[in-house]
Amino acid sequence: MSAVYEVEGLSVSVTSRRPEPVEGQSFDKLGTAVVDGLSFTLSPGECLALVGESGSGKSLTCMTPFGLSAGVASGSARLMGEELIGLSEPALRPLRARHAGFVFQQPLTALTPHLTIAAHLAEAAMQAGGPRPSRSELAAMLDRVGLDVPDERLDQFPHRLSGGQRQRVLIAMAIAHAPAVLVADEPTSALDAALRHDIMALLRRLQRESGMAMLLVSHDLAGVADHADRLLVMKHGRMMETGPARTLVSTPRSDYAKALVAATPRLDAPIAARPAVGGMLLEANAIRVSFPRPGWRSGRMLAVDGASLSVRAGECLALVGGSGSGKSTLARAIARLGPCDSGDVLWKDAPLPPRSAMRRGDRRGFQPVFQDPVASLDPRWSVAEIVGEPLAWLGQSPPFVSSDVETPDQRLDVTRHERIERVQAALAAVDLPPDFAIRRARELSGGQAQRVALARALVSEPDLLVLDEATSALDVLVAAQIVALLQRLQRERGLAILAITHDLALARLLAHRIAVMEAGRIVEEGWAEEVCASPAHPVTQRLVAASRGS
Amino acid sequence: MLTLILRRLATAIPTLFAVILLSFLLMRFAPGGPFDGERPLDPATRAALITAYGMDQPLPVQFTRYVGNLAQGDFGPSLVYRDFTVTQLVAKGLPVSLTLGALALLLALTLGVASGLAAAMKPGGRADRSIGLIATLLTVLPSFVTAPALVLVFALGLGWLPVSGWGEGAPRHLVLPVIALALPAAGAIAKLTRAGLTEVLGQDHVRAARARGLSPLRTLTRHALRPALVPVASYVGPTAAGLLTGAVVIETIFALPGLGRYFVQGALNRDYPLVLGVVTLYAALIILFNLLADLAYGWLDPRVRG
Repeated sequence: MSAVYEVEGLSVSVTSRRPEPVEGQSFDKLGTAVVDGLSFTLSPGECLALVGESGSGKSLTCMTPFGLSAGVASGSARLMGEELIGLSEPALRPLRARHAGFVFQQPLTALTPHLTIAAHLAEAAMQAGGPRPSRSELAAMLDRVGLDVPDERLDQFPHRLSGGQRQRVLIAMAIAHAPAVLVADEPTSALDAALRHDIMALLRRLQRESGMAMLLVSHDLAGVADHADRLLVMKHGRMMETGPARTLVSTPRSDYAKALVAATPRLDAPIAARPAVGGMLLEANAIRVSFPRPGWRSGRMLAVDGASLSVRAGECLALVGGSGSGKSTLARAIARLGPCDSGDVLWKDAPLPPRSAMRRGDRRGFQPVFQDPVASLDPRWSVAEIVGEPLAWLGQSPPFVSSDVETPDQRLDVTRHERIERVQAALAAVDLPPDFAIRRARELSGGQAQRVALARALVSEPDLLVLDEATSALDVLVAAQIVALLQRLQRERGLAILAITHDLALARLLAHRIAVMEAGRIVEEGWAEEVCASPAHPVTQRLVAASRGS
Repeated sequence: MLTLILRRLATAIPTLFAVILLSFLLMRFAPGGPFDGERPLDPATRAALITAYGMDQPLPVQFTRYVGNLAQGDFGPSLVYRDFTVTQLVAKGLPVSLTLGALALLLALTLGVASGLAAAMKPGGRADRSIGLIATLLTVLPSFVTAPALVLVFALGLGWLPVSGWGEGAPRHLVLPVIALALPAAGAIAKLTRAGLTEVLGQDHVRAARARGLSPLRTLTRHALRPALVPVASYVGPTAAGLLTGAVVIETIFALPGLGRYFVQGALNRDYPLVLGVVTLYAALIILFNLLADLAYGWLDPRVRG
């Protein structure tokens, strides 16, 4: 069968503009090749997945030939026999409309907020010149992608739908005009673990039904391996390895593919012995949190509904659940970082004051690390300032910014010396070299930034870390390194961890116990291995199924 | 939506009360009074007038009585235009100001949104730069500069349009005041529209629309324009209230019998009920237009409704 989409020797360069030091308005154009000589073909009914870390050029490979990225492409890309490279935007537009469908990573923002679902679907169905679909045809489109109560959904605005529901609408739109090629750029990475599998299965089913080809982009090797026919592993814009999906995952040949396979947490992987557990550290009882309803509606909605948990010294408890299950809200309420309506928290058998009455020193024992490492560091601060800040504000050394001058020299030297030492010790604990102290936060990569955030949390020598999806914004290889680091900290320091995650396989790797949350309640709790091996609650069963990828 | 309107009306009452109380006190503490003209009245007449208008009573009593009358829709008599009540004066001036303001608002919106759209089509292009420059000029030039300039060119120079006067609302008399009133607002709206559009054009849903092969114009008007107008709505709300209740400068330059002139004369003459009446009306309109702006947000971006 002839190919519907053929790419030969595709290179993409991204032009970054840099103002010239000389006077005048001209700009120096710097072209950097980010995709280098890539070739592949797609036959009807076939699914090829491009896999690689962020920055590997996989999205640019997909989007640039269609004129949907800022890059400049060279080489050849033929869609239904027509050459795309070199076409102007007005010439590309009808080709996109007729032959291609696109699904993007962010379902939450990819729908126009002021247009109803029906308006979106009608526009998509007519993009290739088709007639305006009737209401029942629109409902049938939603039914086909497995959305419940399609007739009701048609009149809703996008924000009333969840991320998974919106991605189904976007898929319905992408296939409405029966395209020859469906391009799906990370279609599931913004979704819950439990949903990812459903959406991938849906894409695969629709693709088989209609015989269209699918070009899939993903950073998650294990996640796509079960759905794609062929994989193409990319690094720095070059192909590392390609082959049938199952073969590549079971017996990777290139070192890079081997590393990717090894770094993905799996539910059937063997687990190292977990460190011993001490006395009770943290006890939270019947926590309730509610928020005012958004927009013009009145009333409050319950985010956490009487959840209780406990963490012993040196123990790791993983709080697992889908997005919106209230797991982050619960952890924030316990750590006194967010609102808490009622319920009490015991820290080392003493009640923790409410958020408004917390003093700085009260926070020393438990420190948070957040999901987005880059956003949680001030870009202008140096690493030394960031890591050293808690020492000043948690009452362990005088504030070093303003009052240093007034302190007697002798004492100043001691405290400053001690502070530098403790910052260095914290950096060493997260495997960062000492010279990182002088770097600015904006110069750090995601993985380095998360290590700095960890060092900041560790510098006050806390007993408990509260990790809110601390690895989910990172690439799979980097995330694996952070997980290994956390395991080492558990062993060496007897650090207790309250880890919030949507990823059951990751939870099993780190945690002694797992608590599964849904709709603000803890629905299942038990030893990590037992919960994963024999899940009792339907929610847990779904999460287990999603992690297996079966 | 009904709850929003009711909630707003409930908060409007204390706001209005505070506005009335503050302007009442400010007026009374300002030196001079309604009966202190250039030619002093003889003391007996003055005392009689003060007693007749109840101004010999203590301030709290006067205030209570004023608010009581206001609650029944009675703005009281004018102290300077003695044959008229404040309600009659407002009824004479308001239609003029409303006509002028509504037309100026319409013109400002049309001009502003259209040129904002044109500028955002190609950011950094020639159209964008020239529209940006003109819009900046229009917003910084005060209307007492643009209005005489317009009069100089189109009325005195070319003789196309009358210099001033109301002319019983004849369209010819309206052209110059409406343009002069609309230009600064049009400049601001153009800048806000352009800024809003450039932001929205970078968002995912616009990229998704482009991916579906929609034309640039359709992408702009159908997928980007409405959310981009949210900042415009928050600007137009209070501005509309100002335009509709009388643009003092424009009404003075063109000698139009609008509300703005009554307001200025009332303030100069210490015509307490007239000033209070206009201020109350203005405050009520501001509250009303802010509510309308909030309702507009809900239409422009349904996420606001929750």
